[in-house]
Amino acid sequence: MRSLWNHRWLFLALLEREVRNRYVGSVGGWLWAIVHPLLLLGIYTMVFRTIFRVEIPQLGEHPFVAFVALALWPWLAFQEGVQRGVQAVQANSALVRKVSFPHELLVYAAVTATFVVQLAGYALVLTILALFAGGLSAMVLLIVPILALLFLLALACALFGSALQVFLRDFDQLLGPLFMVLFYATPVLYPLALLPGWLGDILAFNPLAQFIEPVRALALFGSWTPSTFALASWAATLLLFVLARGFFLRLSPHFEDFV
Amino acid sequence: MAQLPLIRLAGVGKEYPLAASGGDRLRTLWQLWRGRRATHVFRALSDISLELHRGQSLGLIGENGAGKSTLMKIIAGVVDPTQGTVERHGRIGALLELGAGFHPDYTGRENVFLAAALLGLTRAETTARLDDILAFADIGEHIEQPIKHYSSGMVVRLGFAIATTMKPDLLITDEVLAVGDESFQKKCSAWIEGYLADGGTLMLCSHSMYHIQKLCQKAAWIHEGRLFCHGDSADVTREYLAYHEERAQGDRPAGGSAQPGGLYALRNLRLNGASAQAPLALPMASDLHVSGSIHSPDGRVPGIAVGVVKADGTPIYGLVSDMDGYRPRAVDAQTYAFELTFPALPLLPGRYYIRAHAMDPEGLRLYDQLSCRLDITGSARELGMCRLAHVWGEGVDADCAVDERG
Repeated sequence: MRSLWNHRWLFLALLEREVRNRYVGSVGGWLWAIVHPLLLLGIYTMVFRTIFRVEIPQLGEHPFVAFVALALWPWLAFQEGVQRGVQAVQANSALVRKVSFPHELLVYAAVTATFVVQLAGYALVLTILALFAGGLSAMVLLIVPILALLFLLALACALFGSALQVFLRDFDQLLGPLFMVLFYATPVLYPLALLPGWLGDILAFNPLAQFIEPVRALALFGSWTPSTFALASWAATLLLFVLARGFFLRLSPHFEDFV
Repeated sequence: MAQLPLIRLAGVGKEYPLAASGGDRLRTLWQLWRGRRATHVFRALSDISLELHRGQSLGLIGENGAGKSTLMKIIAGVVDPTQGTVERHGRIGALLELGAGFHPDYTGRENVFLAAALLGLTRAETTARLDDILAFADIGEHIEQPIKHYSSGMVVRLGFAIATTMKPDLLITDEVLAVGDESFQKKCSAWIEGYLADGGTLMLCSHSMYHIQKLCQKAAWIHEGRLFCHGDSADVTREYLAYHEERAQGDRPAGGSAQPGGLYALRNLRLNGASAQAPLALPMASDLHVSGSIHSPDGRVPGIAVGVVKADGTPIYGLVSDMDGYRPRAVDAQTYAFELTFPALPLLPGRYYIRAHAMDPEGLRLYDQLSCRLDITGSARELGMCRLAHVWGEGVDADCAVDERG
């Protein structure tokens, strides 16, 4: 950990490059960070509200679009963060082969850059909701520690995945389908409470549900009752991070041979 | 603490897992994760023990694939050894590839910051040294252009410039001097000499024995993954060159990379009949006879190239036997002798080298090189290197025919 602190400038330099990498040479620049989620949001609202006319009783007077938006940005931060983090070591193979530095910084920089970009978009969404949809309660501040834990979960998954990716080149092929299934298994487009009992019980085991649901409940209703599932998921996240980092650090001396 | 070596390697060995197919990689992953050694390995290094103290300079030499790069990576901390231990005390600046941290889409200036961070500089330190870096790299306006528009020489200049401002305790470089143009090579050499004079420690990997002898006190010869020879750089490089000469002559059957029948090689080089070992002192305007014999593995008539250079390497004159249609005389089936005379050699007093290379019969490839020191004695008040034939005339009025001169 002390060695990581000594490398903080390198981390910041890598982070800065990661953020800039997204938009270097592009015309739209940061606009793209907001266009993609907005487009998804538009499609989901169109499909579920206009075409299928889905009614979610738990929403009360809150609009469907706000309901989805509050979950979509954290989800995208997680998904994109893990996907970019998994690629991070391999994408920087020139550095790994020639320069001595803690390889985990590459993963942290990639995931952090994604969270910075997506959560900036999320802040914008919250601001708009605060201005046009009747304001937010002070409870919204509780979102911050929960998102921090979500960030930690993304780091853990990315550490584990990026180490595997170095050895098994087709690992990232798995991620696309995996995230597609996970997206529908996570209560982004629906609340867990809407599900029939048995399905809700199963999906409650999805740790992501225990991040998305409280964040949305806090932002939308200003209240949320902690469940055993949620507390267990958060504890598991800490444990998972420690394990994934151990896995990564054990394999990282061998990256140079394989990237 | 001052007594501690900067680097101490004890019994260092390195194995690389051999894994080609996906299944192999999966199995290797499993073995490495469990902390086992991989079953199929390539042994790159065995049992290397070395110490490098502050203020020393060590040259690493060896054939391609001998394990030099792996050893440098281990010392730099890019990879961990499979066996043995590495101790490092002090700040190490490793330039295993100049510009490894550069991103092609960013400008030179933007790239400086990440590259410097990789060498351990903080942002504030980099900002403070930016002017020095840009001055050393001396690439002018290009610093604002994306790196992808740079020539490889410019990338190297910028990469080395960053390292020069970092002032590491130990500088590790891999063939830095092989790239970059003449003036930049001189600049780098001068910087390294200054760095060594200030007590810096250097580890240089090079195929240029000239650079090793010039910049390193000690040399380590890595042969097939082992430390074959370690000591004074002049001794080690001489052994190394001798090994290559012998190998080229086919005396040593070991090693499979020699061409069939060996290579054309210069056996010896004499100035005015004296052996090349001692420098020849020659009064100005005396005759110079350059002679020697050439080994021809296939018995065909080889060529010979002879050059005269100033002590700093500035070329003065060079010629190839082929140009004049000269054919060395056969001594036996595989040996040819030559002699070249420069009557009344017009060099001014100073130190020069006569260099000669064996060439193939087609006059296309240079093989080895031998060189002899030549000290021209006497005194002359003229300037330059060489006395040009000249005649002073009566002189005419400057307004008239300029074309009369010459």
